[in-house]
Amino acid sequence: MSQAALDRLLPPEGVPLYFRIGGIGVRLAAQFTDLLITGAGAVAIFLLVLALNLATPTTAIAVASMLFFFIRIPYYAASELLWNGQTVGKRLMKIKVVSADGQTLTTQSLVVRNLMKEAEIFLPGTLVLTLSTEALVPSILSLIWVLGVLAVPLFNRRRQRLGDIIAGTYVIHLPKPFLLPDMSKTMRPPSVAQPSFQFLTHQLEHYGAFELQTLEGVLRSSNRAKGPDAYKRHKETLAAIVVQVRRKIDYAEPVRPEDQQAFLEAFYKAQRAFLEQRQLFGDKRQDKHHAASPDQE
Amino acid sequence: MSDTDLIRSARFRQEREDDWRKLSDLVDKAESQGLHRMSFQEARDLADLYRQATTSLSIAREISLDRGLLEYLEALTSRAYLSVYAPQQRLGGIIRKFLTAGGPQAMRASWRVVALGFLCMAAGAIAGYFFYFDNPEWFYVFMPTELSGGRGPDASTEYLRAQIYGEDASTGLGAFATYLFSHNTRIAIFVFGLGAFLCAPTIFLTFYNGLILGVFYALHIDRGLGWDMFGWLSIHGVTELSAICIASAGGLQLGLAVLFPGQRTRRAALRAAGHTAVKLALIAALMLVVAALLEGFGRQFVQDRSTRIAIGWGIGGLWSIWFVLGGRKRS
Repeated sequence: MSQAALDRLLPPEGVPLYFRIGGIGVRLAAQFTDLLITGAGAVAIFLLVLALNLATPTTAIAVASMLFFFIRIPYYAASELLWNGQTVGKRLMKIKVVSADGQTLTTQSLVVRNLMKEAEIFLPGTLVLTLSTEALVPSILSLIWVLGVLAVPLFNRRRQRLGDIIAGTYVIHLPKPFLLPDMSKTMRPPSVAQPSFQFLTHQLEHYGAFELQTLEGVLRSSNRAKGPDAYKRHKETLAAIVVQVRRKIDYAEPVRPEDQQAFLEAFYKAQRAFLEQRQLFGDKRQDKHHAASPDQE
Repeated sequence: MSDTDLIRSARFRQEREDDWRKLSDLVDKAESQGLHRMSFQEARDLADLYRQATTSLSIAREISLDRGLLEYLEALTSRAYLSVYAPQQRLGGIIRKFLTAGGPQAMRASWRVVALGFLCMAAGAIAGYFFYFDNPEWFYVFMPTELSGGRGPDASTEYLRAQIYGEDASTGLGAFATYLFSHNTRIAIFVFGLGAFLCAPTIFLTFYNGLILGVFYALHIDRGLGWDMFGWLSIHGVTELSAICIASAGGLQLGLAVLFPGQRTRRAALRAAGHTAVKLALIAALMLVVAALLEGFGRQFVQDRSTRIAIGWGIGGLWSIWFVLGGRKRS
């Protein structure tokens, strides 16, 4: 999740929200799924038409493309209307069309973005597919056209294709709220032999928020179930971190291997309490270089 | 673990966690069932809890360094925002509304651009007509071979007459599909879609389509088949060529928004123009389907010249009545 792919939206509550913008890859994947679905539907009806002898061999191709056309266009517009900006493919990929102004999606914008898809991609696309040496110039032109249209999203921040720009919409990743346990609460007590770990203020001066949150990630991963190999690797990682932390903060007492997890959890809690307190006093520490960087105040 | 053992941000979280979970459940419900199916109590709770969650998020950004919590709150409030401020719109009656109000109103509101679309086509047709009488060789320059079907300055008059009144081999569904996916539907999609590129492709394509019409018509007048051709074209052409002109009006509207955005940004102007342009495109699509029905079924069954003209222009008249009278408010 890079900073560039985030879109800032200011709701009336005045608390800015950030949406992750759907990239080209995930949208192509959703598009492909939808094409498979509509294609399957069209093939099924086409077989029915053939079985009922409604089409002659000469007109079969025209009938097939007409069926595909008549299933495809209403499918996109109707499913995005019914599911508030999601088709089946978009639901699978967990992406969603939203209005650029953050308001309700209007019927017009959904219809226009799907009609433009027809002119942007499908029609020139079928021309490319029916590429033949006799009609070389139109084929090459439509190939250039398709490539140009596919490149449009790369040149704007919200990755909007032409239809999105006209409709005033863009595609976001639907955020999935999943509440993880608070790591400062899940402390396991150190073993009987070891008294509780104590950290002094000067020992907590070294690290910043980045290191704290990296440690949080490591501690979270130790609660996950894992195989024997992964468990061993995880133990080695913990040992390495303990060695590094002890050296950095001059923690004199030795930490026994079975207490490594408990040590890191205790350190996490103490460090977080310290950093959050500093932050309340206006001293935000981004990372361990906070002392070297010029003071923000 | 007692409360005093907890650090400040953990206590903050503990006090509000239940509300967040309740909000999460309500958001799931709003997304799966739609806001309008929820009870008053639930809808009110959703809005209240959402506002509380934004406050929590704003505080958590300041006081908490728990990444798990921050990511959760970001995701939860974003999702809740979407269900509070961008809910599913009601879909009841959108087709009826388009047919009785939106469509004809859009046509009337953009009559200048529609006239411009017809003008492009007419200018092309007149130019094509004079090109042919200047030198019939022009016919081969403008007319795509797959469209002419053997008709041209070198074909005999009998052949041309047979083409106008002859029985086509294919009728019914196959013919319908073939006509719908013939040249004209493609042109209609292109003139609409390419309009955003400063109008030029739309004007060019519409003009070119007019040229084809002009040389084709001039060929038949040259052979004394003018009225027969008029009948042959009228039955579906009135609808079909109008559809192309209307689609090109939609495209022109997009292009004009890019060219002359006025006080707005180009992007905002394009978006505003999209609202009426899409209605024009839908009208054009509807007309193209009707035209394909007329071409696939009607033209084969009606062989009489006057009846063909009457049907074609009669339906054209019905379209105009719809455009002119539809969706007017009673005063």
